[in-house]
Amino acid sequence: MIAIRNLSKQFGTNEVLKNITINFDKGKVYGIVGENGAGKTTLFRCIAGLENYEGEITADLKPLKNHLGLLLTEPFFFSKITGTEYIRLMCNARNKNIDDIASRNIFDLPLNEYAAVYSTGMKKKLAITAILLQGNEYFIFDEPFNGVDIQSNIIIEEIIHKLKALNKTVIISSHIFSTLSATCDEIHLLSKGAFTRSVQKNEFAILESEMKKASIGKKIENLGLT
Amino acid sequence: MKAYFELQYKMTNRKFKAAGIEPLFAYIILSIGFVTVSVFLFYKSAFAIYIYLLAALAGIANLSETRRNEFLKLCFGDSKLKKIRIAENLAATIPFLIFLSCRQLFFPALVLTILSILLALVNFRTTVNFVIPTPFYKKPFEFTVGFRNSFYLVAAAYALTIIAVAADNFNLGIFAMLLVFAITLTYYTKPENEYYVWAYSLSAKRFLLEKIKTATLFSAALVFPIAVMLGIFFSQSIVLLLVFYLAGWAFLIYMIVSKYATYPNELNITQAILLVICIGFPPLLIFMIPYFFRKSENRLTSLLQ
Repeated sequence: MIAIRNLSKQFGTNEVLKNITINFDKGKVYGIVGENGAGKTTLFRCIAGLENYEGEITADLKPLKNHLGLLLTEPFFFSKITGTEYIRLMCNARNKNIDDIASRNIFDLPLNEYAAVYSTGMKKKLAITAILLQGNEYFIFDEPFNGVDIQSNIIIEEIIHKLKALNKTVIISSHIFSTLSATCDEIHLLSKGAFTRSVQKNEFAILESEMKKASIGKKIENLGLT
Repeated sequence: MKAYFELQYKMTNRKFKAAGIEPLFAYIILSIGFVTVSVFLFYKSAFAIYIYLLAALAGIANLSETRRNEFLKLCFGDSKLKKIRIAENLAATIPFLIFLSCRQLFFPALVLTILSILLALVNFRTTVNFVIPTPFYKKPFEFTVGFRNSFYLVAAAYALTIIAVAADNFNLGIFAMLLVFAITLTYYTKPENEYYVWAYSLSAKRFLLEKIKTATLFSAALVFPIAVMLGIFFSQSIVLLLVFYLAGWAFLIYMIVSKYATYPNELNITQAILLVICIGFPPLLIFMIPYFFRKSENRLTSLLQ
């Protein structure tokens, strides 16, 4: 479990996260939604310990970061490192020895080529493979479905179901509501640095319709398309 | 082209100002420091010419960074890029050329001029996506990436060693060894993305020790063939050889702890000046390494917990 109490984060005078309190339980999948700049990535970076913050973030396994698999929105790769070497680097970092990386290549990536020349989706799939092989207990997937082909999206959804079945804690952010509906137990709406709405699975459709109404309003009609 | 160099000048001045130093004062201090270190080097070392050329080429090598050159190519196009790169390299070597000329070392000055022009013209980036084999693939990333970026320089150093043996020139052999150490130093000049530090489930101290262990082991492997050849053919100078071997390691460790002392920022001017001072007087490393190790430890603790 990850427990967040009164988490606040400021960049200069800009308050990005405002007094957030939430629990992320074991064996559950949490979706975080919100417009660009709502604070999702900052929240994830705070949980990972990549940002200083006010408040408290605790976990049953300590230190949290050593058990956390973090998928960044745009994973960074060195220019001359192959897919296999990237996975080895990530696993070495967590003292995890993986002998047969090729057989774990579920996304059929060209692991013997330089990762930096992969497409956006391939990079994401490589980063996902690496954090899965690290053997983490907690997972944060920031935009895991972006740029990824439909077949791989299906695999990622299945992976998330598997992680839930293995009693792991999973937090996902996505702008594609259908993927969240298919994978999450709870969805939390982050707006201007604060959670404004939290819904359980049976209310996902209501939230989606509310969000649609709030986002679109009469904007399309205002275009005057004929 | 003029606008580009004006921009470089402005950027350099901004860096000095950001470090709290008035640009004019910085240029004066750097000039005095350069002349002092150069005079000291030539007074103190028999290998001064080699070290001098190496230092100049290392400086130029930084300007050849692939991404930087790709960006320049996008901005200026192929022919203008070549002119800019030649001008840059020559500008970077001017202080060295002036000093060498003052000492009437015209041949090394000529070699340096030619090499700086050649380095500007050669594009080392392969157009095909060919994965260069590396002996360091099992423990990424510094030596894996670094070796792939600089394998040709390592090969050149090995070739120089063979020439040194054939010509019975121990100094040249030592230069080749130092060249390999200098190449490995460049693997640690740029701070990596924070994710690659954060990912480690190690304490800051263990992290640094692991980095040092890998660097010393892998650099030893790269230098080993040179050391063996020099050890066999210049056995009377084996003590000197060991001293340089240890010095190479010490500078590599200094580079690692120095890099993480300012992480995630790049090395600052003070560290660069200290490095130059240490090159002039290597025993200082005995104090500098523990100092920067502690600074690095403090710096990394928040990220590694």
